[in-house]
Amino acid sequence: MQYRKNRHLQRLAGILEIPQDIVLDLPRITMLGNRQLLVENHKGIIEYTPSLVRIKLEQGELLIHGHELILSNLQVEQILVEGTVEEVKYDM
Amino acid sequence: MICNMSHYISGTVKIKVSGVMPEKFINLCVIQNIFLWGLTKNNEGLFVCMRLADFFTIRPIVRNSKNHIQVVDYSGLPFFARKMKRRKMLVIGAVLFLIILNTLVSYIWFIDIVGVKSISPQQIRDIVYENGLKPGMLRNDIPIKKVENQIMLTLPEVAWVGISFTGIHAVVEIVEKTIPKTQDKAPANIIAIKDGVITEIIALAGQSLVKKGDTVKKGDLLIKGVSYEGPIVDSTISSPPSQKIRANGIIKARVWYESYGESELVTNVYERTGRQEIGVSLKVGQQEFQLKRVAEKPEKIVEVEVFNKKLSWWRNQDIAVESNISTYYELNAKRVEISMEEAKEQSKVRAITALQSLIPETAHVLSRNIEVLQMPEKNLVRVKVSVETVEDIGEFVTIKDEDNIPLN
Repeated sequence: MQYRKNRHLQRLAGILEIPQDIVLDLPRITMLGNRQLLVENHKGIIEYTPSLVRIKLEQGELLIHGHELILSNLQVEQILVEGTVEEVKYDM
Repeated sequence: MICNMSHYISGTVKIKVSGVMPEKFINLCVIQNIFLWGLTKNNEGLFVCMRLADFFTIRPIVRNSKNHIQVVDYSGLPFFARKMKRRKMLVIGAVLFLIILNTLVSYIWFIDIVGVKSISPQQIRDIVYENGLKPGMLRNDIPIKKVENQIMLTLPEVAWVGISFTGIHAVVEIVEKTIPKTQDKAPANIIAIKDGVITEIIALAGQSLVKKGDTVKKGDLLIKGVSYEGPIVDSTISSPPSQKIRANGIIKARVWYESYGESELVTNVYERTGRQEIGVSLKVGQQEFQLKRVAEKPEKIVEVEVFNKKLSWWRNQDIAVESNISTYYELNAKRVEISMEEAKEQSKVRAITALQSLIPETAHVLSRNIEVLQMPEKNLVRVKVSVETVEDIGEFVTIKDEDNIPLN
């Protein structure tokens, strides 16, 4: 049911040329080299250590491996991770 | 930047979160729309920065998430203000300082006078003082226009005057008129200022006494300051009463200059070795006390530099106190040898520099002759430089009234 609904929404978005992240409630992840990572539309953090940040998303979670990671900006709509990012992994 | 400014104004707190699940606390904060930044974690715990206003609202969240918080650091205007409240005198002092500075700056303390050449600055200072521009006056109370006008009226030599204020200085800028030089109309003769042979003489006013080719000596009369009306044919005929005028004319003459320059092939040059000793003596009235004596070493060549210190006259009236600091520099003699050519060049340069002060700038140099003289001493090189020039040798000499001018 969920899958079908998504498919319809995706087609609608394609026809109307609306950005998909708004229609499907997806996170938007922006990386600046390997030193900054901005995650918009998140659902909070699950775990934070200087070497691993786990961010909860609408579906699944995002794992960021690296070292000396700092959460330099934390708001309802966005998280800014700074430090040296080594690996970004999607866990559905 | 703007974010930092607003943080400074509202005040920020850095707290340490300790407990089982610090992440829970953070998530709850985020949901409550509390802005967090600078999240770091190390062995001691989780550190997070937040606004001071938010800090007062997090108590229920802390309880809910079963964590402990501890304030580690705080900064911003509210904390600074609280600190200043406890140190009232510091604030009062700072405000007082600014007030005093501001008041003192609004007064004039110095008056500078610039641009004067022939007028004495004291004269202008007096006028300025009389008209209300004095040290210690409030800057706004000074009638600038009036002072300027008064200077213009009192001193006709002034073409323009401007008064401006730069800080606590009042600058009186003066531009003087360039008054054309009054020509001397007094009757005068022209005499020779140098020995030479006349090459050209044109008397524009007066009576020329020498011809082209004549040899003249210094002080000889060249053009006499009398009106000349036609050639004097016969001396027996009584000459018409002559009138004294100011002689004028062009007199050019050949002039010779000679000068010698010498230079030694081997010279002793003294150099400071760097070793020095300082002797100090104090003079009170007539008595002199040696505070630090320098042992005399006759085998060494020394150079002495004496530095005399006196108190200002107003502090030194009753008993004259004076100190003498003499620095003894040790010298080292060094033999310097130069080649024959170099010695010649040096002597030549010396001779020419000696001549340059004698030859006027307007002179036209005809020839320059350099001759090396043979000297009995082997060490010495002497060079003779002779220069021939053509130049104006006339000079005005005012005729005194008692001089009677004989006509020949």
